[in-house]
Amino acid sequence: MFIGAIGCEPLQLARVHLENSHSLEVYRQHGGYESLRKVLTSMSPDDVISEVKKSALRGRGGAGFPTGMKWSFVPKDSPKPKYVVCNADESEPGTFKDRYLMERDPHLLIEGMLIAAYALGAKINYIYTRGEYRYLIDIMDHALEEARTAGLLGEKILGTDFSSEVYTHTGAGAYICGEETALLSSLEGLRGHPRMKPPFPAVSGLYASPTVVNNVETLTAVPDIIRLGGEAYQKLGTEKSGGTKLWSVSGHVNRPGVYELPMGYDDMEKFIMEDCGGMLGGKQLKAVIPGGSSVYIMRADQIIGKDVRMDYEGLVAGGSSVGSGGFIVMDETVDIFESTKNLTEFYKHESCGWCTPCREGTDWLVKVFKRIASGGGRPEDVQLMLDLCDNIEGKSFCPLGDAASWPIQSAIKRFPEDFRKHLVNVNGGPATNV
Amino acid sequence: MSQQLTQIQPMSQPVDIGDEVASFSAEVEAEIDRHLAKYPVMRSAILPLMFIVQRERGYLDAAGVAYLAKRLHLRITDIWEVATFYSMLNTTPVGKYHIQVCKTLSCKIMGEPGITEHICNKLGIRPGETTTEGRFTVSLVECLGSCGTAPMLQIGFDYHENLTREKVDQILDSLP
Amino acid sequence: MATEVIKVNVDGTDYEVPKGARLIDVCRDKGYDIPSFCYYADLALQASCRMCLVRIEKMPKLQTSCTITCTDGMVVTTQSDEIEKAQRAMMEFLLANHPLDCPVCDRGGECELQEMAFDWGGLEERFTEKKNYRPEKYLSPMVANDPQRCILCKRCTRVCDEWMGEDAIEAGGRGANTVIGTYGGWLDCSQCGNCIEVCPTGTLLDATYRHQARPWEQEQTISTCTYCSDGCQMSLGARGGELMRIVARDRYVNGLNGEFLCIKGRFGHPFVNHEERIRTPLIRYKKGGKLIPATWDEAIRHVARKLDEVVDAHGPDALGVVGSPRLTNEANYLLYKFAMELVGTKNYTTTESFDLNPFFANLGAPLATHRDIRYARTILLIGGEPEELQPLTGKQIRQAVRNGGAKLIVINSVPIRLVEQSSQFIHIRPGTEDAAVLALAEASSVKTAAGKMGVEGSDFETLKQAIDETNGDLVIMFGTELGASALAAVAQLPNVLRHEGMRVLLHPLPLHNNSVGARDMGMLSGQISATQLLDAAGEAIKAVYLAGSFSTDQLRGRETALDKLDFLVVQELFETETTAFADVVLPAASFAEVDGTFTNNDGFVQRVRQSIPPVNQAKADWIITAQLANELEMDFGFNLSASAVFLEIAEQVPAYSGLRYPLLKDESTPVQAKYGIVEGVDLTEELNSLRVAVNALPESGEKVTATPKVGHELFKIGTLTDKVAQFHLLAAGNPRPETLRVSPLYQITVDENLRQEAVVSGK
Ligand SMILES: Cc1cc2nc3c(=O)[nH]c(=O)nc-3n(C[C@H](O)[C@H](O)[C@H](O)COP(=O)(O)O)c2cc1C
Ligand code: SF4
Ligand code: FES
Repeated sequence: MFIGAIGCEPLQLARVHLENSHSLEVYRQHGGYESLRKVLTSMSPDDVISEVKKSALRGRGGAGFPTGMKWSFVPKDSPKPKYVVCNADESEPGTFKDRYLMERDPHLLIEGMLIAAYALGAKINYIYTRGEYRYLIDIMDHALEEARTAGLLGEKILGTDFSSEVYTHTGAGAYICGEETALLSSLEGLRGHPRMKPPFPAVSGLYASPTVVNNVETLTAVPDIIRLGGEAYQKLGTEKSGGTKLWSVSGHVNRPGVYELPMGYDDMEKFIMEDCGGMLGGKQLKAVIPGGSSVYIMRADQIIGKDVRMDYEGLVAGGSSVGSGGFIVMDETVDIFESTKNLTEFYKHESCGWCTPCREGTDWLVKVFKRIASGGGRPEDVQLMLDLCDNIEGKSFCPLGDAASWPIQSAIKRFPEDFRKHLVNVNGGPATNV
Repeated sequence: MSQQLTQIQPMSQPVDIGDEVASFSAEVEAEIDRHLAKYPVMRSAILPLMFIVQRERGYLDAAGVAYLAKRLHLRITDIWEVATFYSMLNTTPVGKYHIQVCKTLSCKIMGEPGITEHICNKLGIRPGETTTEGRFTVSLVECLGSCGTAPMLQIGFDYHENLTREKVDQILDSLP
Repeated sequence: MATEVIKVNVDGTDYEVPKGARLIDVCRDKGYDIPSFCYYADLALQASCRMCLVRIEKMPKLQTSCTITCTDGMVVTTQSDEIEKAQRAMMEFLLANHPLDCPVCDRGGECELQEMAFDWGGLEERFTEKKNYRPEKYLSPMVANDPQRCILCKRCTRVCDEWMGEDAIEAGGRGANTVIGTYGGWLDCSQCGNCIEVCPTGTLLDATYRHQARPWEQEQTISTCTYCSDGCQMSLGARGGELMRIVARDRYVNGLNGEFLCIKGRFGHPFVNHEERIRTPLIRYKKGGKLIPATWDEAIRHVARKLDEVVDAHGPDALGVVGSPRLTNEANYLLYKFAMELVGTKNYTTTESFDLNPFFANLGAPLATHRDIRYARTILLIGGEPEELQPLTGKQIRQAVRNGGAKLIVINSVPIRLVEQSSQFIHIRPGTEDAAVLALAEASSVKTAAGKMGVEGSDFETLKQAIDETNGDLVIMFGTELGASALAAVAQLPNVLRHEGMRVLLHPLPLHNNSVGARDMGMLSGQISATQLLDAAGEAIKAVYLAGSFSTDQLRGRETALDKLDFLVVQELFETETTAFADVVLPAASFAEVDGTFTNNDGFVQRVRQSIPPVNQAKADWIITAQLANELEMDFGFNLSASAVFLEIAEQVPAYSGLRYPLLKDESTPVQAKYGIVEGVDLTEELNSLRVAVNALPESGEKVTATPKVGHELFKIGTLTDKVAQFHLLAAGNPRPETLRVSPLYQITVDENLRQEAVVSGK
């Protein structure tokens, strides 16, 4: 598996290939915790926030919300404690970048969190890691202990007056806990149901206190922003989304892996065919899901020869979105009906069950998919599925409902032949070529 | 517990638990104490503690659940509602080795069906079942964040990636 | 505090609404039909059913009106094709896995889901897949569960948590597998059944009424509960002279309790049509002989003759007349009239042990209503255990604290469950409640009192500070532990604690449905109490005319007292320890069979309405008294109508002046009796005797440290609950039966062999 940067100097992935890259020693040898020192000794919390604003860093968890803006929503005068929570619940199918960041460079995350904690005045911070990543929790715990011993964490960090603690917390198998409010419910020891917004976590989050939830990749970008300066960081990317972005590439390519690309990387076709080593076994490209399972699926002809730029605006123009950067490449052997069925089963399994449309809708959709797959497809089923998606989308309590309908809507629209095949073939057996 | 109110009142509740309560060694108790120390509100430690109980007792049995309720000052229903929400928490016994094969898209297109079939044939069970001697349970699970190294499976907490049939044989045969 | 008014526009019309109003409430108030399932006033917001969607200008997507707080200038659309499509879609989703066999469902006919489907019309079923199957089962002797019908609105889990503080029922599982239930499937709680009440579908059902009647076959009568002093309003469902069930569903009744009822109110009614009801008048012609059925004429004549004889021989005071805090005001009033006007005896009383006269004589502030409690800022609870004895008050306190942010201060000798909600708990020694009142009444006594109670004097400083900081209502509640002087002192506490910006309200916690009313009727102003009367039996008292029965507590150590009487006449529903000694037993009608009024602990005079004709030959207590008076040649003049009796009450009892039945018609706006409020009363004497009483208390004594179990009072078997089989299961600890598929009633273990049979045959 490949890990590295293409088209730019590696920032977040700069140390991943070093031996013992996870150790404090190696991290410090390569300039680690210098950004924190700079922040603690020469910058005010507001300076940090304005630097992050200048960097045009957008949340890497999927929603792409400008990070500096999010931080500035935290009320300064609130008497309540404040919390920074790192969202390491990475469960979006096709996404695995946070895993490697934490595995190879845990101190980068700690440093990023401490800078955020300083900017927001948080004394206690949590890293919410999905339960399956137990080994990462152990790595993080070890790194935290190292940092604590070295005076980089806990009381009087680096000899300054700033004190802050970071703890790990484990999830227990629930995709919905990646949604920030559900994550907070889960962190409070409740069922992982999303909560009403407003109030937004920045105002009333963990234990009803101001809380900032950021993705691992977002937080690990912060030390570099401080080191380079917000403007310089922004210049690495585009005007609206600064810096670099990690893409988790999987599926039918010769070189899957985690790729660090500058925001606005040109173009997707080149990325697949050259950077990722081209299609596995020389087969034809059929479809790409560029941003994790929740985004629109793209047809090969929306990519080939279309110069799709890899940033927020570019992908929207190209007919999809960045999402979490989970880049799934599918070749001609894949039946898009089956792949969509697979994802719908995922959403049904992961729907938290709180709201009607998502709970009942995903259940219904899976039943329809299964019936069609076992040869019982009817001509009206496509319309039924589209209508069900339409009834879920925009009506669910949290975005999971939307996320469940988009893949289906786009798949039916862009690959009608793969669906039609199953419906026409009423008496045939199930298609199992996936 | 309803969400709006817990925000006002993240309070512990009186204990009403079953008769049989699990007990643990001093080291485990110390480990539990370390987790509890991390949070301003006790209830937050529910997931880490459940994993510990599950590790020590194989699954969340009645005595383990009673222990959690007592330790966290919660009602039994509070434990139940949480335990049944998360897919990694088992309220029924599982085999000594819990083989979880990822079945989500990337793994699926990279050969998961063949891997699953191979494991099931080898162990003589279907997904969701446990071998009679209680050694293996096979489950199909959703994406485990290993899509770039698909297909993959997890045994307990250990990742095994870039699987082939031969590799699966090796892994299963080398288990103690 | 004047609330700011803002403008919102709904479907093209401008409305002025108070700032902070919830959009769904505003729309409904103005007559716009907003469908919803999960929204329930005064419970935590859920916003999960997604039915209440509206379009709000400048907002993306449709919005759930239950979560929207109105802002000035908001423009709202509640009706459009887009909204209707979305709402229909939600209905379609809810019905997808919901069985469509409404005819076999107990909720059919009053199911919100069914009604919504009916109202919308034109629903086409596109769901042709297999429905998720979940078997029916029982959660407890009271609660049946059909999980397939659940739409996960979670009203049940919210009322269980927020109203009852029990959190006994919760959602488990995830996604489409979410189910409402409990750990192990057995519901161990106070069995209030409020989860059943608020359930909009047939998921949680009344197990005692299951498959017995359809809602539309029943005649609904609004009445007042016959158990505790909270006076919950309820709807009695009757069919063909049989009381089938009791509910508080707001489609039928809208009282101070909303849809709340406790286990007794909801499930405690089967005594009404019970086969052991006394069927005819019974006469024991000879001491030691048998009770023999007689006609009413004969019985009344017999009683009149006997009473005449006693009065002739020993004078009027030899006849004791005893009413009951369970009977209507009308019944008690006529007994009072009987004693005072007809007989002229000074020896009249009720079977009540808690005499509130000293309290009302010194009343220093109005009585708090249940609504006042819900919105109080500080609540001081001295003694008592409302969550078991006055469950509605318990619920109001809990909501005041949890939803309203009120402070609760508990002074109790037992760590009752409400302590969980309290901001301060003063844990005193048993029997020292009077000392607590003394400490509150005079600062100079705090030290002595604290010593007796086994608490720190500073505890009372903390308490005082909380009261001093109160801005809004302070409600002082007290239980039946207080003695007479303490009651007088409590009644005057408002004058001691008063300060600017705080209103003090009082809330007594007597035990019975008409404890307050029976006192108001004057039945407690005689010269004797129930126990004194028993002690004087055979001596000063030769005969007793009793409506009701003495309690087991009163009879303890006085087992032979009734035997010493020359003549005892009892009006009762059932044979009791008291009727065992009666010379004449007259079958009385229960609350479901009579018209009248009860006065609750808010001072609300509320209607009791006849739901079914008297069972067997029973007659309303007041009619019996009037007929007896007639036979004794005094015409009370209102043989046929309870309202006429009440008119006279309104003339004679100052607190009730001006009241008439038509004014009490609407249960949603209950009318409070106008008790005289006295300020600046000279309490020297009372405080002196209180001091003496407190000084006599011991300085030592063990404290009770265990929180009482849920239901320790509620599940106690009384004469009435004895007739409800399910109560016996609960009193036996609510054991989990072998299988949950069959009602636990049919799995009672009498005998090992029998049990096997019963379970197998599934009877
Ligand atoms: C259904 C759902 C799942 C999500 N899963 C994740 C996740 O696994 N990891 C993550 O970082 N953000 C996830 N998010 C996004 C978070 O809600 C939130 O936007 C993010 O943590 C904010 O951090 P950022 O601003 O750094 O991106 C998810 C959102 C939704 C609606
Ligand atoms: S859309 Fe609704 S059911 Fe689905 S995950 Fe979000 S809140 Fe839960
Ligand atoms: S799809 Fe298998 S690990 Fe992600």
